[in-house]
Amino acid sequence: MADIGLMHYLMLAAALFCCGIFVMMTKRNAIGILIGVELVLNSVNINFIAFDRYRLIHGLDGQIAALFVILLAAAEAAVAVAICMNLYKNLNTIDVDRGDALHG
Amino acid sequence: MSNYETYLAIGVVIPLISFVILLFFGPRLGKPTAGWVAVSAMGASCVLATMTLVGWHGEDSIARMSLTAAASHNQFHWADLGAVAVRIGVKLDSLTVIMFFMVTFISFWIFVFSIGYMAGHSDEVAGKSKYHRFFCYLSLFGFSMLGLVVSSNLLFLFIFWELVGLCSYLLIGFYFDKKFASDAAMKAFITNRVGDFGFIFGLMMVFFFLHTLDLDGAAAEFAHQYRSESGIFEQGFVINLFGWQLSGMTLATAMGIGLFCGAMGKSAQFPLQVWLPDAMAGPTPVSALIHAATMVAAGVYLVARVFRLLTPDAQMFIAVIGCITLTLMALVAVVQTDIKKCLAYSTLSQLGYMIFGLGVGAWIAALFHLMTHAFFKAMLFLGSGQVIEGCHHEQDMRKMGGLMKKMPMTGLTFLIGVLAISGFGIPGMGVGLGGYFSKDEILAVAWDRSYMWNEPIEHHGDAGHAEGDLQSTSAGTSVAVRIVPEGRSDNSPAIHRRDPMPTVTRSPVGTVESTPGLHPSLRDSNVSGIRNPPAINRRATFDRPYGADRDVAALTAADTPDHRNAESSFRLVSDPHAAIPSEPRDSSRADAPTSIKAGIPALPKWLFWCALITAYVTPFYMMRCWWMTFMGKPRDQHVHDHAHESPMMWFPLVVLAVFTFVASYWVFRPMIADAAAVATNAVAVVGLDGVADTAGQAHGELIHVHDAHHWLATGVGWSWLIAFVVAFLIYRNGLALGSKLKALFGPLATLLEKKYYFDELYGFLFVMGCRAVAQVCRFFDTYIIDMFANLAAKITERFAAFSGRGVDANVVDGVFNGLAATSMDISNLVRSPQTGRIRNYVLFAAGGAAVVILLVLFLVSPLAPGTMLSAINP
Repeated sequence: MADIGLMHYLMLAAALFCCGIFVMMTKRNAIGILIGVELVLNSVNINFIAFDRYRLIHGLDGQIAALFVILLAAAEAAVAVAICMNLYKNLNTIDVDRGDALHG
Repeated sequence: MSNYETYLAIGVVIPLISFVILLFFGPRLGKPTAGWVAVSAMGASCVLATMTLVGWHGEDSIARMSLTAAASHNQFHWADLGAVAVRIGVKLDSLTVIMFFMVTFISFWIFVFSIGYMAGHSDEVAGKSKYHRFFCYLSLFGFSMLGLVVSSNLLFLFIFWELVGLCSYLLIGFYFDKKFASDAAMKAFITNRVGDFGFIFGLMMVFFFLHTLDLDGAAAEFAHQYRSESGIFEQGFVINLFGWQLSGMTLATAMGIGLFCGAMGKSAQFPLQVWLPDAMAGPTPVSALIHAATMVAAGVYLVARVFRLLTPDAQMFIAVIGCITLTLMALVAVVQTDIKKCLAYSTLSQLGYMIFGLGVGAWIAALFHLMTHAFFKAMLFLGSGQVIEGCHHEQDMRKMGGLMKKMPMTGLTFLIGVLAISGFGIPGMGVGLGGYFSKDEILAVAWDRSYMWNEPIEHHGDAGHAEGDLQSTSAGTSVAVRIVPEGRSDNSPAIHRRDPMPTVTRSPVGTVESTPGLHPSLRDSNVSGIRNPPAINRRATFDRPYGADRDVAALTAADTPDHRNAESSFRLVSDPHAAIPSEPRDSSRADAPTSIKAGIPALPKWLFWCALITAYVTPFYMMRCWWMTFMGKPRDQHVHDHAHESPMMWFPLVVLAVFTFVASYWVFRPMIADAAAVATNAVAVVGLDGVADTAGQAHGELIHVHDAHHWLATGVGWSWLIAFVVAFLIYRNGLALGSKLKALFGPLATLLEKKYYFDELYGFLFVMGCRAVAQVCRFFDTYIIDMFANLAAKITERFAAFSGRGVDANVVDGVFNGLAATSMDISNLVRSPQTGRIRNYVLFAAGGAAVVILLVLFLVSPLAPGTMLSAINP
């Protein structure tokens, strides 16, 4: 069995990313979509860390970018939950398919 | 501006003020007051006219001339018509002054009469009181008529001319709710339009060829063009009328006839006479004022005013028309039974006399007749108005009779009018009434023109001298050449004749010239300042005849002593002051003979004979009229019982009767003779002018002329008596004999009663003609014009259908609808992914990203898929 290398990490991140996208596409529950978004963000984090670990980017940039993404994810989760609350308040549900007032 | 002009100008405006007042405040003023406003306005004008007349009478001839000249320069510039300046001003000469006086005086008394008349007549028209309107129109008429008299400009004369026509129309149709009145008004108006068409034609020729509309200016230019044979005299054309060829009729003649056409309409001369009898449908004061005394005389006044623009041919035309009118209308008057119609035909006949007089060149006599006629005819009409009013609106003379006892004042004044129009007078005594002097003078001149004309008219010798004092008067050209009979200095009476062709100053040898280059006013001051200036005592050589060829040689040959008899021996005195009787004439003698080649054709003799015979007819029908009305036995007891007269109405009659006397003797005759010196250029003024102070004296001379042909003196002088006797014999015992005579004449009487079928003829020719033309027009309109119109409509409709339904609906709308539908489709296509669902967006975003990545990997990037990984994994 070969050593675990960069390629594996990237494959994992891509799989995780696809899972996240899939969750976002399929879940009708707003919270479920949020979870999908977290998955996508974390797959990106894995990429950053992996590239940092294998010195493909300069210095600690990859780790710092990952920290930024985590921070961003926290802020985004706060805003998204607030949106979910409002969605619930207005539509009495958090089914995102019901919130299609902006359809063309 | 002299006082006289101011008086006249104010006198014209006062009735206008009255008109305006009555127009706006008339209904408020009420029944008698409105009338008194008009009366007082006309009275004020009359006072001004009297002041002018008295003052003017006091001026001597020279002062008058300078005043006339001054007035012709005191004009205001009014407008420019192209290159022609139209100036507004007062024409001030003796003729204006007496016409003004006559119009205001007669108008004033007729206005007074009107108040009495309207008191007894209904003033309700269509259920409303039109009392104020009657006097309103009368005031407007006064203004217009006075304006016409004082106009110095043909254009203004024409404007006022139309205004009096309008007033005539309004007043004839005063009772416009009655069909006959409105019909008569329309007839009068339309007939006048026919004449006015000719007038406008003449006016345009004056404007076009003489380049001025001023009366004096036009006359001066006319004479100038005559002398230089240019302009209006240059272009001749030939008219062939029933085989009677008027060869070489110049445009000048056509112009004269055109101007005369206006007079034919207004003075109701022969072809256009039909309206005047019908105009009697108007109230009687209107008939007296407008259709007897003033407006119908305006035609005569016009001819007198444009006399300087008339060629001998035009004058001949005028004479013929006048003669036809006076004869035919007098005959119609004989069979009339309506008192007003009888007077109307008498008016027509007398107007014919005036026109005839002007045509034959008896300018002075014709205007004198106008003056005297105005007074007595106004009086006669007012008298008839009184009779009609008194007899309970009965106009038929057959139902009257014996009214003398009931209406003594009316009967007496009417009799005075009858005598005046009949030419009452005693030959040889110088006693008579207006018509006696004026009508006989016209006849004498006509006789002169008919029988004496071809005899040699001037001689020279030891006793007879020809003097051609060529002088310019205010017209700048007028040369009053007068032929004074031999022995004039011995006060022996004879004919005084104006030279037929005095305007001719063109001389082949240049001996005769009017003062050239001088301003008219300067010339005038010369005239008034110098009597018989030596420079103008020149030998005159007249050439270029107007019509007849008078040979110089023949005249010279005739220049022999054996022709020197009372009628044919004259000396020629040419002098604008010749009108002054006291002027010594023998100081201006020239020793050279004058050759007169120029001449005016002698009058056809039938003209004279018609006029003479009519002089017998006139007294007959007037006497018949008076006798049937006032004498004999009453024929209708009801009418007779009702008969009465009122002071308001007979008092004006008395005043006018007095003035019938006064006008015969007072200033009128000499003033007209005085006017002749400036108002004519004596192309053919023939008359006993000037030398006589009074009508009586003139008539005395006339009688002496007639002495040579005594039958004429007796024939004319006593005609009234003969005719009166005949009328008396026929009508003294009622109407029976008259009816028998009428039956005797049968068809002739019917012809006269039907007025020569003129109404029927015109009805057939013009009314039916108009209708026929209208029918043709209607046919044309219906079938040709409408066809085109309908065709055009159809084509338009078809085109519209094609354009609307075809092009517009399909092509134009198709384009736009297509555009709209297309954008709709595109929009729908574009909006369909916009579902508003997050999941879809995520799908699209992911799909899009995948596509981009794949594109980058396989198309854009030069690297193969493996290379990137190998770059990552070195």
